[in-house]
Formats: sequence, structure tokens, C-alpha cells
Amino acid sequence: MILNTDGSKPIYVQISEWIETEILKGNLKQDEKVYSQYKLAEMFTINPATAAKGLNLLSDENILYNKRGLGKFVTNEALGLIIDKRKNQTLKGLLLEAAIEAKQLNVSEVELVQMLKGIMTNLEGDA
Amino acid sequence: MNVIECEGLTKQQWRLKALDELSFTIKENTITGLIGRNGAGKTTLLKILAGLWQETNGTVRVFSERPFNNLLISANAIYVDDQMQFSNRLTLSDILHEAGRFYGNWDAELARRLFNYFSFHPKQVHMHLSKGKKSTFNMIIGLASRCALTMFDEPTTGMDASVRSDFYRALLKDYLAYPRTIIISSHHLEEIEDLLEDVLLLDQGRKYFHLPIDELKEYAVGLTGRTEMVMQCSANQEVIHTRQIRDDLTYSVVKNDNLPLNKARQLGIEVSKVSASELCVFLTKKTKGGIDDVFK
Repeated sequence: MILNTDGSKPIYVQISEWIETEILKGNLKQDEKVYSQYKLAEMFTINPATAAKGLNLLSDENILYNKRGLGKFVTNEALGLIIDKRKNQTLKGLLLEAAIEAKQLNVSEVELVQMLKGIMTNLEGDA
Repeated sequence: MNVIECEGLTKQQWRLKALDELSFTIKENTITGLIGRNGAGKTTLLKILAGLWQETNGTVRVFSERPFNNLLISANAIYVDDQMQFSNRLTLSDILHEAGRFYGNWDAELARRLFNYFSFHPKQVHMHLSKGKKSTFNMIIGLASRCALTMFDEPTTGMDASVRSDFYRALLKDYLAYPRTIIISSHHLEEIEDLLEDVLLLDQGRKYFHLPIDELKEYAVGLTGRTEMVMQCSANQEVIHTRQIRDDLTYSVVKNDNLPLNKARQLGIEVSKVSASELCVFLTKKTKGGIDDVFK
């Protein structure tokens, strides 16, 4: 992953989202050790304190747990928590943006839903 | 532990105060960005910390000692800029050898590897190097010395884009392997911000703030919209910068202190992020309008 440095999202949030995506994709499984702050700093050329902040964010949300002296590991509820969060925050946020844009363009609710349905059908066709 | 402690640090040059009652501390093994406009006092501060210049007033402590004329500081702190002077009787490889004799933690292997990577010739003379090559060579000295306090003053002057990004990565990798206290001054905060833990912003010799980089990024937001709406939203708030885009359209940068952002969006105001480097420019501008005011 390449970090987005245009300031749209803090780097530590991008780090925590990257780890979440690794868990979503199944690259990091339950009770598996995640990268240390130093490894993350090396990987993304960022300050290790920033990487630590990203990891701590996930600990606070019970996506990761600490093993003293060993590092951070994926909790058993991580996957569920991430899916929940992405649905309620990320996805809803994207929909809100779409709704605001639709309103600006005088696109009706029915038309918007139709557009979404069309996109979903296309996606499934591709898969 | 604090590596640097300054209290009321003042440096008087002629009738001008280059540093004015500066107080701050820097923790061990952090990377701090020293940011400020031309003439804000960055170089003066670094030269005092390195023991090269003497303070006029106030106290300055590095490793708990006063740095001026102090051998402990000379051996454990290095100041790297593009004006480093080396004897023209020494070749580049002689300089590396001599640096190795002076600095206790000198890593000759790292110096040799960087020297070859950046295609220097051992018999070259420092004076004959191009501006960018000089900066690159000085950077090698700065990194290989492994000083407990390492200060880079505008280290990338003249470096091309590829060398600059190599330098930042080399700095970070060596810092991860051998943690130490690093201060980098730069006019290009956007280039170094990912490396930093804290930012110290100077404005006319005074401390503007000393904050973790992440807080800096959330310090302010940009509001763009119809002038009266933007005015309404930023009433009673700290407005850092404002620019009239058109007669009825305004862009304002406002300190993000519990701003009613959702309300702003409903009023048709576009809310945007303000990058750390833009913010520092806005904060240290003399007038709130900027260059456009000159042409009024």
C-alpha cells in the first residue's frame, strides 16, 4: 500500500485501516501476531510513534490485544468488529456523500437506488 | 529523559532578537521538525544547541550541560548544514577517516556504503563538489557519526528528488536501528512530516507551538463557501487565514475547536483538510490576507 499524503486522512488512521484490511482479506488471522511499530515504520517510511498510534487505535477498539513483551495479536472478535465498523462508518459515510451529490443534481431517490442497483449488477457480472 | 531543555532562551544580534524568550524541551530519541519562515531563528537555535554560538540570555541545556564551548557536546552532538567547512588538503576519504577518529560511535561501514551508493570518488575534494553533492556528503557525515543529538539544518538543499527521498529513508532506517534524538529543519514540511514525531514552529524568534505532528494535522480546517455563510460559521472562532476567492465566495482557515462542521456542511460550506505545511505558512504570515494585499 502507498500512503496517501495529501492530508485527507492522518497517517496513523491509514495504518490502522491498512491492518484492518489485512484482517478482512484473511492475511492476518485470529491470534496471529501483527507487525510491530518498528516494522510498520520501516515498511511505510513513517515515524515509529505514528505507527504505534495506529496500533493503539486498534487495541482500544478490541481488534488487537497485547501480549506483554511479545507484541500485538488479532482478537477473536476482530473480524466482526471491523465489518461492523466499516458498514456503519465508512459505508454510511460514502452513501451520505452520494446522497448529498444526488440532491445537488436533483437526482430523485428512485433514480439513485436504480443507479446503485445497476452498479451492483455490473459488479456481480464482473466477479 | 529530556535531551534538550531551554528556558527563556534569547539571542540578541545587533538590535534584533533572533531568539526571543524561547522555552521548550525535547525528549530523548524523538525526531522533531524545526519549522519556520526565513529568519525565524531556526539556524540560530540549532547553532546554540550545537555549542557553536553563545546564547545572550536564558538557559539552554543539552544532556544537562551548557553547550557553548563544551567538549561533551562537541563529541555527542552534530550540526549538519550546507556550509560545513573542510580543509581542501583532505580528500573525501580523508574527511571520513578523520570524522571516524573524532566521533566515538562512528559507523565506518555505513559511511562507506552510502559513499559508494551515491557514487562519490575517494580522491575528490569537498570544495569541488556541486551544491547537491555537498549536501549529500554532509548527510553521510551526519548519519554515520551516530551522535546522540543529530541536527540537520535544511539538509536537502540542492539534492535532486531521488536523493532527497533516499536521504529520508536512510535517516529513518538508521534511526530505527540506532534510536537517537534528531532535529531536522526544513522549508518542506510536506516532505518530512511522515518522519516526524513532533513539530516545533518558530515565528520571529518565538515559539509558536510545539506539538505532535498528528495534532497539527487536525489543528485547523478550511471552509469554502458564500462569504456570509463562512462568516457566520467562523464567528467567535480563531480565523487563521482568509482569502476572498470571488466577491461572494470566501476561503477561511479556522482553528478546529469544536467547530459545528455538520452545520457548516448543511449551509453549503465545503469543509476541507488543511495540511500541516500549509497551516504553518498561514500561521506565520504577517498579514491575514497574504501576497494579494500588496497588489490592492
